[in-house]
Amino acid sequence: MPDLLWFVIRRLFGAALVMLALSFAVYLVFYAIPADPAHLACGKPCTPDRLEQARHFMQLDQSAIQQYLSFLKGIFAGRTFGDGAAAVHCNAPCFGYSFPLARPVTTLILDRLPITASIAIGAAILWLLFGVSLGVVAALNRGRLLDRLSVGVALVGVSTPSFLLGLLAILVFGFWLNMVPVNGYVPLTESPVDWAWHLITPWLVLAVLQAAAYIRLTRAQMLEELNLDYITTARAKGAGETRVVVTHGLRGVLVPIITLFGLDLGFLLGGAILTEKVFSMQGLGDLLISAVAQLDVAVVVGVTLFSAFLIILANLVVDIVHGVLDPRVSHG
Amino acid sequence: MTTQSVSEELLRLKNVRKYFGLPGAPWRQAQAVKAVDGVNFVVRKGETVGLVGESGSGKSTLARVATRLLDPTQGSVEIGGVDVTNVRGRKLRPVRRKIQMVFQDPQASLNPRQSVGTILSTPFRAQGIRPTRAQLVELLQQVGLSEEHLERYPHEFSGGQRQRIGIARALSVKPDLLVCDEPVSALDVSVQAQVLNLLADLRDELGLSYVLVAHDLAVVRQVTSRLAVMYLGTIVEEGPADQVYSAPAHPYTKALLSAVPVPEPGVERDRIVLTGDVPTPIAPPSGCPFRTRCYKVQDVCATVRPVLEPVHGSTEHRAACYFPEPPPPERTR
Amino acid sequence: MAEPVLEVHDLHVTFTTEGGLVPAVDGIDFSVAPGETLAIVGESGSGKSVSSAAVMGLLPSNAATTGEVLLDGRELIGLPNDELRKIRGNDIALVFQDALSALNPYYSVGWQVAEAYRLHHDVSKKVAHRRAVEMLDKVGIPDAARRVDSYPHEFSGGMRQRVVIAMALVNDPRVLIADEPTTALDVTVQAQIIRLLDDVQEEFGTALVLISHDLGVVAEVADDVLVMYAGRAAERGTVRDLFYRAAHPYSLGLLGAMPRVDVPPKPRLTTIPGTPPSPGSIRTGCPFQPRCAYTHLVGERCITERPELTPRPGEGDHEAACHLGRRPEALL
Ligand SMILES: Nc1ncnc2c1ncn2[C@@H]1O[C@H](COP(=O)(O)OP(=O)(O)OP(=O)(O)O)[C@@H](O)[C@H]1O
Ligand SMILES: Nc1ncnc2c1ncn2[C@@H]1O[C@H](COP(=O)(O)OP(=O)(O)OP(=O)(O)O)[C@@H](O)[C@H]1O
Ligand code: SF4
Ligand code: SF4
Ligand SMILES: [Mg+2]
Ligand SMILES: [Mg+2]
Repeated sequence: MPDLLWFVIRRLFGAALVMLALSFAVYLVFYAIPADPAHLACGKPCTPDRLEQARHFMQLDQSAIQQYLSFLKGIFAGRTFGDGAAAVHCNAPCFGYSFPLARPVTTLILDRLPITASIAIGAAILWLLFGVSLGVVAALNRGRLLDRLSVGVALVGVSTPSFLLGLLAILVFGFWLNMVPVNGYVPLTESPVDWAWHLITPWLVLAVLQAAAYIRLTRAQMLEELNLDYITTARAKGAGETRVVVTHGLRGVLVPIITLFGLDLGFLLGGAILTEKVFSMQGLGDLLISAVAQLDVAVVVGVTLFSAFLIILANLVVDIVHGVLDPRVSHG
Repeated sequence: MTTQSVSEELLRLKNVRKYFGLPGAPWRQAQAVKAVDGVNFVVRKGETVGLVGESGSGKSTLARVATRLLDPTQGSVEIGGVDVTNVRGRKLRPVRRKIQMVFQDPQASLNPRQSVGTILSTPFRAQGIRPTRAQLVELLQQVGLSEEHLERYPHEFSGGQRQRIGIARALSVKPDLLVCDEPVSALDVSVQAQVLNLLADLRDELGLSYVLVAHDLAVVRQVTSRLAVMYLGTIVEEGPADQVYSAPAHPYTKALLSAVPVPEPGVERDRIVLTGDVPTPIAPPSGCPFRTRCYKVQDVCATVRPVLEPVHGSTEHRAACYFPEPPPPERTR
Repeated sequence: MAEPVLEVHDLHVTFTTEGGLVPAVDGIDFSVAPGETLAIVGESGSGKSVSSAAVMGLLPSNAATTGEVLLDGRELIGLPNDELRKIRGNDIALVFQDALSALNPYYSVGWQVAEAYRLHHDVSKKVAHRRAVEMLDKVGIPDAARRVDSYPHEFSGGMRQRVVIAMALVNDPRVLIADEPTTALDVTVQAQIIRLLDDVQEEFGTALVLISHDLGVVAEVADDVLVMYAGRAAERGTVRDLFYRAAHPYSLGLLGAMPRVDVPPKPRLTTIPGTPPSPGSIRTGCPFQPRCAYTHLVGERCITERPELTPRPGEGDHEAACHLGRRPEALL
């Protein structure tokens, strides 16, 4: 166990460094963009005076390095923009302040996260179940009808763009059949049933799309696994076919699946941009898109960093699960 | 070179060590696999030397250091009396002419997309020579194949034939010394015999010297004139093959030989069954590397590693042991 | 000789492949009695492993098996999978050549031994675990109670093979089929494993079928020997029959081709010219004919008529499948 702890600490330290570099890069990119956020903030008749004021208030008159350092400082100590009665506080951990939305970025992200998380996690569970079970079925029925069918589903899934399938689903189930709501989000705490009901279409759409890769991977991995000597050993011990497949075969299949799963989930949590757009849900993806449109640098940087953090975290979790699943992997 | 040397020296390894680093955590002490740990080894013209030992004892690593495929961590490699330890790149070409290697897996060591003709001419071209067809055919004939095989591809051959191609390729530059790493262990008994006979013929006809690396002691006995036994990266015994085989002096050699089954049902043999496994080459035992499994171990064995010293009154036969086995009665002088 | 526990009569195994039908095993007979050891020898591809898999009913679905496999007189071929499952690992157990790949890397060695026990005994995990420790101890794993939770990759080759043997013996099988159990091991470890198998056989009266191409090992442990060539029996008899009175040119060739460690070498090894045939390439006549040095003494018959196993006059159960009818060594 202490080995594992060391491993986690080292990885988190590495992650912090990556995020630091990333945040700097993002800052530089936005600094290089000619458009001026202060321009938007200063309103329609924008006198040079007011523009200068807005710049100063938003601390955009500082050098890039200075801005970046204030950003870093804000994470640990919080930040205050302007002074006196007009001052705006952003409490630690402050990942920036959105002037267009007049809210700290941290609050914005935390507000939107439940929506994105609901979509991503629900879909992830579905596609993992679909993908792995269909993949196993395909492998066990290699060359027969069920196999062809699963592989066909996988092919369709892999080659369909998500917005197309999403729009189709909304059209069919939402408008034509009038079975499910076409948009909107109800918090889980308000009504779990409504929550699930509103999410079912995006879940299914995402699951069908993602399951494809899982079907293929599971099938290929399982076929390989079933040829291994220890599978024959299990049969020779007198294990039934179910036990052979589930207990002895699936374990080795899960290792690459978990890797893929962690990465996919990390990306989705970071903002399933298209899905949220299609289903008109105000999650992180939606937040990011509007922020880009409004040149809301603070939010863009915040969401980007947050997504990166989730992906790095997912990677770490994948590696730990890997170590738990496969005793040969040591966290040295 | 010394004046009294009986015959020309083809290969000399001086105090060679080869450690492989293991990746470790920064706060942990770096670990090293001591694959070869202080070996002196000489091959003279006309000799066929067997290098035996159990899996992981460092045989292949030593063979690769000797053929300059690996750089030694310490020590020097002399080929044909010239120190080539630090010779690299293009300058190695003339060295490669003198010493060639044959690998265990005939399947993996031949490029499947090259015809036999192309495979055989590669070493020539590496020397800047364009071989004639007659030269290639002669090579094939030396290993018992014929001209019709020149245009074929490796997959069209059996395992034994592929190994012959591997040997022919090594012979193409007319080396003085051939280092064969487990040349027959992937082959069936009947095919193995064919390749062993071929090696014997090449020795007799071309005056070729070779080092035969193998774990099968019977195979080695068939074709070698001298034997070196490795254990945990060191040579624990060496000498003329007939002397080592008939009267092993090191307890490990004795146990190893006694463990080889003999095809004579009903004949009871004294067998020394060693207990336990070979220790890890990351942390070999102090003193004598064999002491954890030795049936003659004493306190002194844990102190300083014994060095190779002449045994049985012969200058050629040497063993690294404080308590070597006595010579058989008829050979005592 | 005691009543045989396992009898195999006229066993044929044919694979359906893209290249056509492959008769991997083409009519072989053998039997073993409790406490006895039968060795099956032959070169790569001669059908040794396929025969053992056929006895266990472990062949892939593209294999067709005919003939009789009798365990205590009960026919196993054609038995439903459920019935076979109760026999596998319980009455007949298998030990593979490569212990590393025969063990599941994802489970501890103790779990794997315990699983073999629980598949045939309705006991708690705890009891099975205790039994596993007992077995590991019996096969000479030092400090078994502690090592029981180790994973296969933490063991050396010899220890892994001991684990596989423990797993095979945990249900006190009547028949143990060991397919090249020592080929992957060093000689000193091989000697340990051979001694272990010997002890086990003595203690439990297990019938042992030892598959090997190492004639030295065979000489040491076998009572009876079956020599296979191209899916057929070339010779069958006691171990002394084979080593001192070999009756088939192929057996003789094998013996001559084997280098020996205990006597000064002959100048040249006897060789068998050519290479073993691929199964199915020989349809009529003697499968060994293209490589046989004695065929000229017989003539046409070797090409036209397939030799069957025939008893050697005055030599008990010693049989050879050769038209020569006399001991070959005296003839050349
Ligand atoms: N490239 C490498 N990196 C790290 N360790 C290595 C490397 N090559 C060899 N070793 C280690 O060095 C030791 C000696 O290996 P080597 O292959 O020389 O043994 P060997 O005597 O040829 O054994 P075998 O009979 O199995 O071929 C082993 O412990 C091996 O694991
Ligand atoms: N699943 C399969 N499909 C088609 N042919 C097969 C299959 N399994 C085995 N064979 C063929 O059956 C023949 C006998 O194979 P088997 O594994 O029994 O040989 P063996 O005597 O055990 O050899 P080795 O010493 O190499 O283990 C081989 O020619 C092989 O190619
Ligand atoms: S030195 Fe000691 S431990 Fe080593 S082989 Fe000799 S007697 Fe055995
Ligand atoms: S039957 Fe003929 S070919 Fe076959 S082994 Fe006997 S002599 Fe040789
Ligand atoms: Mg090697
Ligand atoms: Mg086999």
